[in-house]
Amino acid sequence: MTPAPHRLAVAKHRAALRAGFAAWPEREAPPAALGDYRWTHDLILSTWVQAAEARPPADGLEYRVGRSGGGFDRLAFRDLGPSAALAPETPIDTSLALNRRGDGPTIDIPIPWYGAGMSYGSVSEQVMLARARAAQRWNTFTSTGEGGYPESLVAYRDHVITQIATGMFGVREETIQYARLVEFKYAQGAKPGLGGHLLGDKATVAVARMRESVPWVSLFSPFPFHSVYSVEDHRKHVDWIRTVNPRALVSVKVSTPTDIDMVAVGSFYAGAHILHVDGAYGGTGAAPEIAKKNIAMPIEFAIPKVHRYLTSEGIRDQLVVMASGGIRSAYDIAKAIALGADGCILGTVELVALGCTRCSNCERGRGCPFGLTTTDPELSLLIEPEWGAERLHRLYTSFRDQLCEILRRLGLRSVRELRGRTDLLVYRGDGSGPGGDR
Amino acid sequence: MTAEVYHRYHIPTAPAPDAANHPSRFVVRVDRLKLASLLLRELVHYRADLGVVLSRPCLYGVFSGPVGGFAPRSKMCVGCLRCTVQYPDMVRVLPNPARRRLGDRYFTPDAVDTVLYEASTGRVPVRGAGYRGPFAGDGWDGLWTDMSEIVRPTRDGIHGREFISTAVDLGWRPDFLQWDESGRVVGDVPRLVRLPIPYLFDVMPSSLESVELYDVLAAAAARLDGLAFVPMAYAVGATALGGHHVAPVVRRHEIDRAAGSGLNPRVAALDGWEPQAYRRLTALWPDALIAVRHGFDLDPVEAVNHGVPILHLVADYHGRAGGRFVAEALRQAHDRLVRDGSRERVTVIASGGLTSAEHAPKAILCGADAVALDLPLAVALQAEFEGECRAREQAALRLGRFDHAWGVQRVVNLIGSWRDQVLEVLGAMGLREIRRLRGEVGRLMLAAELEQEAFAGIEGFGGMP
Repeated sequence: MTPAPHRLAVAKHRAALRAGFAAWPEREAPPAALGDYRWTHDLILSTWVQAAEARPPADGLEYRVGRSGGGFDRLAFRDLGPSAALAPETPIDTSLALNRRGDGPTIDIPIPWYGAGMSYGSVSEQVMLARARAAQRWNTFTSTGEGGYPESLVAYRDHVITQIATGMFGVREETIQYARLVEFKYAQGAKPGLGGHLLGDKATVAVARMRESVPWVSLFSPFPFHSVYSVEDHRKHVDWIRTVNPRALVSVKVSTPTDIDMVAVGSFYAGAHILHVDGAYGGTGAAPEIAKKNIAMPIEFAIPKVHRYLTSEGIRDQLVVMASGGIRSAYDIAKAIALGADGCILGTVELVALGCTRCSNCERGRGCPFGLTTTDPELSLLIEPEWGAERLHRLYTSFRDQLCEILRRLGLRSVRELRGRTDLLVYRGDGSGPGGDR
Repeated sequence: MTAEVYHRYHIPTAPAPDAANHPSRFVVRVDRLKLASLLLRELVHYRADLGVVLSRPCLYGVFSGPVGGFAPRSKMCVGCLRCTVQYPDMVRVLPNPARRRLGDRYFTPDAVDTVLYEASTGRVPVRGAGYRGPFAGDGWDGLWTDMSEIVRPTRDGIHGREFISTAVDLGWRPDFLQWDESGRVVGDVPRLVRLPIPYLFDVMPSSLESVELYDVLAAAAARLDGLAFVPMAYAVGATALGGHHVAPVVRRHEIDRAAGSGLNPRVAALDGWEPQAYRRLTALWPDALIAVRHGFDLDPVEAVNHGVPILHLVADYHGRAGGRFVAEALRQAHDRLVRDGSRERVTVIASGGLTSAEHAPKAILCGADAVALDLPLAVALQAEFEGECRAREQAALRLGRFDHAWGVQRVVNLIGSWRDQVLEVLGAMGLREIRRLRGEVGRLMLAAELEQEAFAGIEGFGGMP
């Protein structure tokens, strides 16, 4: 039996951690072992700053790009000069309409992003609550992931996407009926072609109860849906949702194979409102290392492919394309939209805002030592939902302000005007290429 | 009546922990004075509640030794950094400088770590938090494999109910079969050796060669039902352990020695290409498939025209093959054979520059039928690099003493892990057998091509050379 959490000890560590999150960005040198190519120590520390101060750091930390040497890290926005820019306080429309088919309810969100699916079991209930509260505050969404729908989330159901994944964990009529937006997860960028992984150490009694599985036994979700082998089968899935919950919009989450353009068209004709394209370099959960970089393509390459093909098919304006899989900053969001997405879906960056150091030990033993990707009763208390929601709120504030600033510099009044504007991007080569705003 | 025995190919992995001391990833340093001061403050603040005062930030036991944080156990550190985030002035977690001596520029310390994990456990490395490395890169890192959204076989079946074949055929097959009027096959018939795995074992770097090492490889090949290439000088002894799982590699001047060896292999290799020597070796072992082991500068069509059934094309340990990377060299060799119409008459085995599990399916996508592993086998046995290891003859590696059974299990574990990983790739692609992967460049994504397609027209993008 799991011992009761020592609440005083938890409080001690929680206070020390929060002090550390504030202290490290102020220090001259970052922790020596922090960061990697995609998430540099500067990006991690600057995300902590934004989550605390609702603005990007002003002390030289690089908060816009990493140093992966490709994709978003090689792109920048053109410097059009002051004559093209809008006045500093010019109002900018960053809203996004999630239904362009005209066949159901209208849902507009005020920012072109929402939260990615992270399941109960892969993350704690406290983290899910923090994300749901932030989503409610911003009138956007977060997602259940595929681990079920904790009762505590029901109060936020207008801002929670019910995800239906191949494991079908926690998928019941009522959880579908809660949602304004239902997402089918066909595949995920972190492990394209594989189902979700929840290793045995994290399948606690509470998690197993939620998933109706056996405690402490690893759960490897199937791939793909056993009921879907064609666009017509997929159409039946969408019809199923519409029967159970006619007021819900339907999103389809797919990964990035060579034929992602055809998948996009198929999803549209199956009735999807949103195509969620999840690139190969994201992901928050456990994944075989071989699947992380070797299978399917990065999101930066998939977005233009989908955008152009949908445009050539004449259906681009009816399908909302949301991009995920390695979106780390407001600049990544803006670049993804300039490449052709309508908006983005955020996962890892939200966890970093809550204190993740990207140590990759999420799946090990009791789970995340920062209380994020864990259901350990003591560790998960390191995150208080209200504290987490406030961190995410401030991160969102910083991101929106930066997005508005980018748009003003480009002379655009709405984020919708940015979509597909690759003419506003420059390629930086090895970093010594043409200038521009990263 | 013949008793039928059900047999499903399975690799029996078992724990085989590192034998030699392996440098930890991190070094943890604690300022003891500050720790003592913190403990005193907390004793007062928490009124000597030791449950709180001694509660440590580490989940992995770094501070759980007899004197806690006063003697941190770096070996147990996983680099989560919680301790240093919590106590910036007191704890430092540093990358271990001793790791620089692991591997070399090509076989990186991280790749060494991965192979050691695979050899220790036989398991598929699984970690959280997405990909951490460069966007793309040279060599294998510029290639990605495709996946399919709606596929068979299913993910829940690839390690269980459903079967994905990793079997490969070595040898020669005619372009077509001929039958006489009574339905009997006349003329040429395929001459094939089927292996259940696409991983063969190549000869080892000269600095490591020993009877003991080849004994391990031969025994592991036998356990896996695979095939180990073993130099003629070691083949007799190794054959005693590996039986027909050993393929002697014979240099031209060793053919007479081979004649007196008493060996009767099912596969052998001529080291280097020389038609007359090839004919002599073929005459010596008429029942064997005689491969030719050569660099990528060999014209594959010429060898095939001489009846060579197996080409073992070898790049250096950094994957360089005459100014090209092995992936490109393989694609060219495969393409040359396809254009000549002779691709099905020969098996291509690739070696060199294959250091991680993902490299094998990528090599097969580029046109190899199978791969023969070299340095990863040595690393699995905890061989240490002494400088850059590029060429087989010059590469300086050191191998400590090891137990035969331990060595065999380490190699078996490595192959078990790599096979499970290739199953993940095949499952994601919707392929039921690895033979269908060969040369399937339509399912290979080239980073440079994708970047061209995505970014063409963006100011400053130069495109592909």
